[in-house]
Amino acid sequence: MLGKTVKGVLWWACLSALVFCDSPGAGVASAGEAIFSPPSEQSIPGGSLGDLVRKGEEIFTNTKKYAGHYVGNDLTCESCHLNRGRKAYAAPLWGAYGIYPRYRLKNHKVNSLAERMQGCFRFSMNGTAPAVDSPTVKALVAYSYWMSRGAPVGVKLPGAGMLHLTPPSRSPDPFSGKKVYEARCALCHGLHGQGRMSRGETAFPPVWGGKSFNKGAGFYNVGKLAGFIKMNMPLSKGDSLSDQDAWDVAAYVDSQPRPEKPAVK
Amino acid sequence: MINIHQVIKRVPEFFQGNARTIFPISFNAKVHPDIFSTQERSMRKKLVWFSVFLFFLGDFSPAVSAHAEDLFSRGRQIAKAGNGMPGNTACMECHRLKGGGMPSIGAPRISGQTIQYIEREITEVQKGARYGPVMAGVVQNLSPRDILAVATYYSKVRSPKLRDTETLSPKRVRLGKQIAHQGLWKKNIPACVVCHGPNGYGVPPLFPYIAGQNRTYLMRQLIAYAFLERKDDPQGLMRGIARRLSPQERKSVAEYFSSLDPPYTGSR
Ligand code: HEC
Ligand code: HEC
Ligand code: HEC
Ligand code: HEC
Repeated sequence: MLGKTVKGVLWWACLSALVFCDSPGAGVASAGEAIFSPPSEQSIPGGSLGDLVRKGEEIFTNTKKYAGHYVGNDLTCESCHLNRGRKAYAAPLWGAYGIYPRYRLKNHKVNSLAERMQGCFRFSMNGTAPAVDSPTVKALVAYSYWMSRGAPVGVKLPGAGMLHLTPPSRSPDPFSGKKVYEARCALCHGLHGQGRMSRGETAFPPVWGGKSFNKGAGFYNVGKLAGFIKMNMPLSKGDSLSDQDAWDVAAYVDSQPRPEKPAVK
Repeated sequence: MINIHQVIKRVPEFFQGNARTIFPISFNAKVHPDIFSTQERSMRKKLVWFSVFLFFLGDFSPAVSAHAEDLFSRGRQIAKAGNGMPGNTACMECHRLKGGGMPSIGAPRISGQTIQYIEREITEVQKGARYGPVMAGVVQNLSPRDILAVATYYSKVRSPKLRDTETLSPKRVRLGKQIAHQGLWKKNIPACVVCHGPNGYGVPPLFPYIAGQNRTYLMRQLIAYAFLERKDDPQGLMRGIARRLSPQERKSVAEYFSSLDPPYTGSR
């Protein structure tokens, strides 16, 4: 009788542990670091600003349809800036707006937010950059502006940019990375990195090959890619790879063929 | 800041026309510089043999499609009357001959799911790894070939959407739609349509379509992933998501997807 009760209690404990402690995997920002929460969709204002913000969101999530002229691969801005540019540790727009203009080592210049976006068009989207005063960039900047309302300006917020993953104890090894890739990534991104289609539309974006980001992109830097993967991949299972696995798989992905870096203009 | 990228230098490409960037030997002692060339060479050899094989296959291709036709009619036979072994029930008793399912008892619509997915689910039910209290009783005696045959059959037949038994709440459908298209990121749930394809039409081969599926079935699966014995989903992706949804949210997404039109409704 007693045994039965104890067993019952244990069973419940197990079950509730299972149900309630399934970590949502956003773990890293602990110790009082509150992550900024951007305004909700419903609070997009009316009027012309609202229209511009919505336009920006459309370009961001469906780049080929709304800015196809500038896009040279099968990605959208959201492929890397997850949750429509809102996800912490996936370079959210709310984390970017307040820290530009800023100096970047990459081109030894002080860059505005618009110029930073041009960079993503040329390298991450393997396309051409729309002019800083083009309707496309204006809409994207308006979208970032709206999303960062209420966020402190001039400081790097927790969750902004990509996670800076500590360098691994063993050099990243693309051969171990291949094993990780096959076990954890190929289901969605395909064994050959080609991504997957659903009735003619890209469902899972390609991670290498002619339709992915080029060698000038931020993700061609193994460290940046490893930080992104650690926090966000496999999708919905962020923070489930070990740091070493994240480095290895990033090294593997970056060792595969992809478009060359476009010549400097 | 250590930038690993600066450590990794490109070395001359080993093959003309192969743009692969590889890592210098010093970067990882285990990497033998020749490993790519050996692999590549054996790959090329295989390719040559494969094209020879294809060349001969060309002559026999009618036989190949006859084989597929065979599977289809064998599958239709099983769907209609079972495979003749004791304990096997005709699939059409519950899934109908055209695979439209039976909303009243929560038997799923299966017409147009991929061969790989149908095959996988039945095999996993046989192994006991996939929740299937009803299915477990009726598919034990199917051989792998039988399974391939019914999978081929049901992936090819088409059925219109069958009327669901319950009326839906517009409020829940609205919430369901929002979760389906935008996710619930505060609980780390991506939009359902990211994995189940635009409109919930599926991403072949292993992400099933869920649009137009009946509500009772969808609801049961979400509960089975969250608490019961559906434990064979790759990497636990669906289990994690179903667990993090609240009962109200599970109901809402089930109602939303059941309100949509399914893919593959044409005639065959
Ligand atoms: C292949 C992945 C990828 C794609 C696609 C992509 N980006 Fe980026 N983006 C990055 C990376 C990596 C960074 C650098 C983040 C960092 O430095 O921490 C970045 C940075 C940014 C930043 C600055 C963020 C910051 O915190 O400094 C903005 C703004 C931005 N991207 C906008 C866009 C827009 C707009 C698009 C679509 C046209 C786009 N990105 C497409 C990978 C991508
Ligand atoms: C469940 C499916 C799934 C799995 C498994 C998965 N990803 Fe992704 N991944 C996605 C989706 C979907 C996106 C794009 C996000 C969006 O559009 O909302 C993405 C985006 C990416 C990107 C940026 C976009 C691009 O194409 O370059 C990289 C890099 C990436 N994933 C790498 C990985 C790696 C490495 C793994 C294995 C550790 C992995 N993914 C596992 C679904 C998945
Ligand atoms: C007695 C009714 C019944 C019969 C007969 C039956 N099924 Fe099922 N089937 C179900 C139910 C109910 C489910 C949902 C899982 C469960 O509750 O067992 C299901 C689930 C499935 C699934 C999984 C669908 C999905 O989307 O994951 C497939 C595939 C399937 N059945 C194929 C078949 C095939 C093929 C046959 C014939 C060999 C068959 N079923 C016979 C009732 C039946
Ligand atoms: C990260 C990717 C991913 C996301 C996001 C996702 N699913 Fe799934 N889902 C899967 C996979 C993979 C399967 C197939 C698992 C299996 O074989 O058991 C699946 C299966 C299902 C099934 C069972 C289908 C059937 O025919 O038996 C249902 C129902 C379902 N998902 C509903 C949802 C809903 C509702 C959402 C949004 C709240 C969602 N899924 C989001 C990956 C995902």
